[in-house]
Amino acid sequence: MDTASHNASPAATSSARAPRSHAHSHPAVDPNAAPVTLTIDGIEVTVPSGTTILAAAEAAGVRIPTLCHHADLAPAGVCRVCVVEVEGSRALQASCAYPITQPIKVNTTTKAVRKARRHIIDLMLANHYGDCYTCARNGNCELQALAQEYGVDGLKFGRTTEPKYEIDRSNGTIVRDMNKCVLCGRCVRTCNELQEVGCLTLDGRGAQSKVSTFADKALASVICISCGQCINRCPTGALSELDQTDEVWALLDDPSKHVVIQTAPAPRAAIGECFGLEPGTPVTFEMNSALRRIGFDGVFDTNFTADLTIIEEGTELILRLYKALVKKDPAVMLPMFTSCSPGWVKYIEHFNPDMLAHLSTAKSPQQMFGALIKTYYAQKKGIDPADIAVVSLMPCTAKKYEANRPEMVSSGFKDVDYALTTRELAKMVKEAGIDLPKLPKSDFDPPFGSATGSGVIFGATGGVMEAAIRTVIELVTGKTVENFYDHADIVPLRGFEGARMAELTIGEVGEVPGILKHLVPDWNWLKGATLKVGVAHGTANARKVLDDIKAGGPFSQCHFIEFMACPGGCLGGGGQPIPTDAEIRAARAKAIYAEDRGAPVRKSHENPAVLQLYSEFLLGGPAGHEAHQLLHTHYTQRGKFIA
Amino acid sequence: MLLTEQDKQKAQISQLAETHSRNRSALIPILQTVQRDYGEVSQFALQHIADVLGLHAADVYSVATFYQFINTAPKGKFIIRLSRDMSSMMKGAKIVARQLENDLGIKFGETTPDGMFTLEWTSCIGMNYQAPAMMINNEVFSNLTPQRAHLIIEDCLQGFRSHRPTVGKIGETYSSALTYASHEAEAGLRNALAMSPPEVVSEVAASGIRGRGGAGFPTGTKWRLAAAAKGDLKYIVCNADEGEPGTFKDRILLSRFADVVFEGMTIAAYAVGAREGVIYLRAEYTFLKPQLEAALAARRQTGLLGKSILGHDGFDFDIRIHMGAGAYVCGEETALIESLEGRRGHPRNRPPYPIDVGLNGKPTVVNNVETLSSISCILARGAAWFSSIGTERSKGFKLFSVSGDCTRPGVYELPWGITVEGLLETVGGGNAKAVQVGGYSGMLIPASQFDRRLAYEDLGIGGSVIVYGQDRDMLDVAENYFEFFVDESCGQCTPCRDGNVKLLEGIRALRQGKCSSRYLNELISLCETIQVASKCGLGQLSPNILIAINKHFRDEILARPMVGQH
Repeated sequence: MDTASHNASPAATSSARAPRSHAHSHPAVDPNAAPVTLTIDGIEVTVPSGTTILAAAEAAGVRIPTLCHHADLAPAGVCRVCVVEVEGSRALQASCAYPITQPIKVNTTTKAVRKARRHIIDLMLANHYGDCYTCARNGNCELQALAQEYGVDGLKFGRTTEPKYEIDRSNGTIVRDMNKCVLCGRCVRTCNELQEVGCLTLDGRGAQSKVSTFADKALASVICISCGQCINRCPTGALSELDQTDEVWALLDDPSKHVVIQTAPAPRAAIGECFGLEPGTPVTFEMNSALRRIGFDGVFDTNFTADLTIIEEGTELILRLYKALVKKDPAVMLPMFTSCSPGWVKYIEHFNPDMLAHLSTAKSPQQMFGALIKTYYAQKKGIDPADIAVVSLMPCTAKKYEANRPEMVSSGFKDVDYALTTRELAKMVKEAGIDLPKLPKSDFDPPFGSATGSGVIFGATGGVMEAAIRTVIELVTGKTVENFYDHADIVPLRGFEGARMAELTIGEVGEVPGILKHLVPDWNWLKGATLKVGVAHGTANARKVLDDIKAGGPFSQCHFIEFMACPGGCLGGGGQPIPTDAEIRAARAKAIYAEDRGAPVRKSHENPAVLQLYSEFLLGGPAGHEAHQLLHTHYTQRGKFIA
Repeated sequence: MLLTEQDKQKAQISQLAETHSRNRSALIPILQTVQRDYGEVSQFALQHIADVLGLHAADVYSVATFYQFINTAPKGKFIIRLSRDMSSMMKGAKIVARQLENDLGIKFGETTPDGMFTLEWTSCIGMNYQAPAMMINNEVFSNLTPQRAHLIIEDCLQGFRSHRPTVGKIGETYSSALTYASHEAEAGLRNALAMSPPEVVSEVAASGIRGRGGAGFPTGTKWRLAAAAKGDLKYIVCNADEGEPGTFKDRILLSRFADVVFEGMTIAAYAVGAREGVIYLRAEYTFLKPQLEAALAARRQTGLLGKSILGHDGFDFDIRIHMGAGAYVCGEETALIESLEGRRGHPRNRPPYPIDVGLNGKPTVVNNVETLSSISCILARGAAWFSSIGTERSKGFKLFSVSGDCTRPGVYELPWGITVEGLLETVGGGNAKAVQVGGYSGMLIPASQFDRRLAYEDLGIGGSVIVYGQDRDMLDVAENYFEFFVDESCGQCTPCRDGNVKLLEGIRALRQGKCSSRYLNELISLCETIQVASKCGLGQLSPNILIAINKHFRDEILARPMVGQH
């Protein structure tokens, strides 16, 4: 085995095993269930009945290695790395899947257990083709860490010398190298339980079993929403994003190119993890310095267009409400759905193409930014847009797909040239010899400047909705949000519940602000109205909400619903550092909300650069002619038939 | 396919789904129907099935690819499946295979260019005492010779041209006198209904009967737990997925004494409070389905199934047949339940056990065909009668399916406690080198241990007995077993899926004289891991043969001339 010089991966040393919070959960342990006292390696521990041996061991401070177990997924008990001895049982038991209901005695390091672990790791290594040196997961691989930690000292059962499978790079976002697959099934469970996309599955049986897709087709030919959640849960390098760092280096190396980068809010709350920092350590301004050192000619904050999205999408919402409630226009679809998560957009295009009219036509912040850089910014700077390259740093693999959508060329060029994941950027920073956390801080470049706190919270589930509500409340009531919510924190919209709703009653209304005067005459029709909004994250929850709307359930009464393809929203995106779990996502969310709290301006409609943009460039105002051309898009009814 | 043909198929699938209330459990029956009518389940069909059942296409594809009798690519009009169990191999399956290849001009795994024939090996089809045997579609042909194989193919072609169905040819079965033959119809059920359900459970417990599928769990205990389990709906599942190579006794019971089996299921339902019964019948026994359906219909007519059975108010029970689709592992009760629910046959984590959380999450009793048959006799004649047979810890009698190197292969009813030697005498298997008892997952007994007894005190295992004569090469035997396990492992857990591949490679290395004694020791150590670390019982038992031949025939298996290095 080609061992890496790194220490055990963060995945292997992280002991975070938070309770599941998603659809299709394994029967959750009732904390009030009868307590059971058991002993693990002689240590007595008391847990509620139904707790797994693995969780009880953690409580007892005993570490049991795992591989197919993932805190976000239902237990499978298939890799058998976590087997332990339960006294009285002839066979060893998978600790991840064994519910304790009686006072058992567990031993985790008997001879048979140690032997079994080694054999199992040996067997996985024997079928694992590819070498660690060149693997995207070198140093952050659970298989590598297990081999190192559990005494594997030779390849007992040989090694695979020829690849068995062709590497699938067909869909331009997710790369599947099944030669590295250990058949833990985490990707399959992620794709089916957590996301309900149902793209990945098991094919065949016995020694022929493999992770596959419908009819073993390439990813480009089947329904993959490119969310990348499978990558985040793959223990090895079998799944990774299409690495475009070399393409970006080539742009940076080309002196004729003016290369700018826009950075989304979620990566900055997570990239520190790639440099050994605790999850939730914000490194926004150190990252800016790193980007300049790498050679980017402009370092911008995608939050600028997040604020712009709020203006455009908020305006669209107001218009839809006005048309539906006042003009009684039956063609207007409510609730309106957010459209900034490209995985979600692809999901609904495939699975609910009849509901596309609900989607806001506003582009995602990434695409708005690309379009503006190659028009507004190019004009301002006097640079031929043909010579400008736009790179974006995203927490997301689907952003690669979004950047490649054929309609995303409203500037006359490909609006965003390359979308890098947080992991890819970390790789570039490392390649440049930069120790990111140690860099001095520096701010974003003009003319887009620093965005508002509302833009920042786009990175968390519920954030888009909170940002929108802050703006809508102020525009409609003429009063500050702080009159309604302390510190403008709209707490009911926060948290990680899979699908949630909130209601806001609008009491008195104010004057229609100048920027919207041409669209609605007054707000009287909203006086005393109750605005109902919803939030869903993870496409399994999105599906629940869509089904509920179709069935005329409570979500069908909503006016506006935020959907994010990834659990936790962008901070749990498929391009974020590995590992991920509820605890890590919560830490990243904390960083994001802290940055919002500290932002000098916290409401999108107060972003001076946005207001300047409308006065200088988007002369038709929100939802006006220019905005429509550059900032809005359309969707495709894809359906789910696989040809 | 023409558009109209697609529409026709869509309509058929939708209608099938409707009859199953669009429930996922309809998945495998729908796949089978489409397979039957179209010879394959095309990508179009897979997606439409997914659509009507509210599943993902990939999920349906995944289930389809798990089962051997469902194919997602076109195969021949006649799918020939030659059984590759050890008994067949010993009786000339390879020569029959050559004949078939020559006649058809294709290799195994291929389809003739005219689309008429597909040739495949298959796991044991339950015809070991009439080996070699093969299936053509759902028809079974046994006692094959190259000449017969040739004629059967001619028959298929002629029959196809004149629209005559292919008719299987199964020889007579040799068997000893069976208690089931003298069972008074429904006497067990009548007696049971005269008792209270707890009394029935007590009677079964008192008889001392243990599960006849191989695991030997006390049936009375299982029923008591199931009766105590809370649930508005409970199931009785009859495990008729007789997949253990070398066993065919359940087929004999189902073909000759189906009513005794159904009677046993009805008694079980009464005892534990179940309203629904399912027979999970292996795909290889599809030819039995019409007669079983007829038997069930007759029972409904005579009040032995349905509402208020035999006039017993409030006792409602019915039985349906669910066809397997070619997967050995579905004989494992939790894999069987997964399969009934329309999923891949992946054994579940236990606990919880099926008696608490079984089919559709409800308490479920899974009993073997033979266990249920014996129950009918126990209730008819009394626990005392049953427990007077056998030994102290092994009560009653047992059916043994005997095949291999013996002069009188067939089904034998014997009391527990007989020695291997005694059994061999009965079946004409003198001078054997070794005997496999309990099927491939059982134990290999060398001649030196023929004084061991078939009883739970010693060899308490399933009913398959394969006799190996003096000339049999133990590495042939082991290679055949591991080929079987490598194919039939469900593939979910690492030790069974990957470990058995390493063991098979090791056997092949031994055959070539290229396995060091040190590596053999490593493989034996791996066997021990597979035994304790696999997820299900089948995986845990899969390495037994290598442990046995290493123990009893180590000199024989290590002393091979090295191949290819002269």
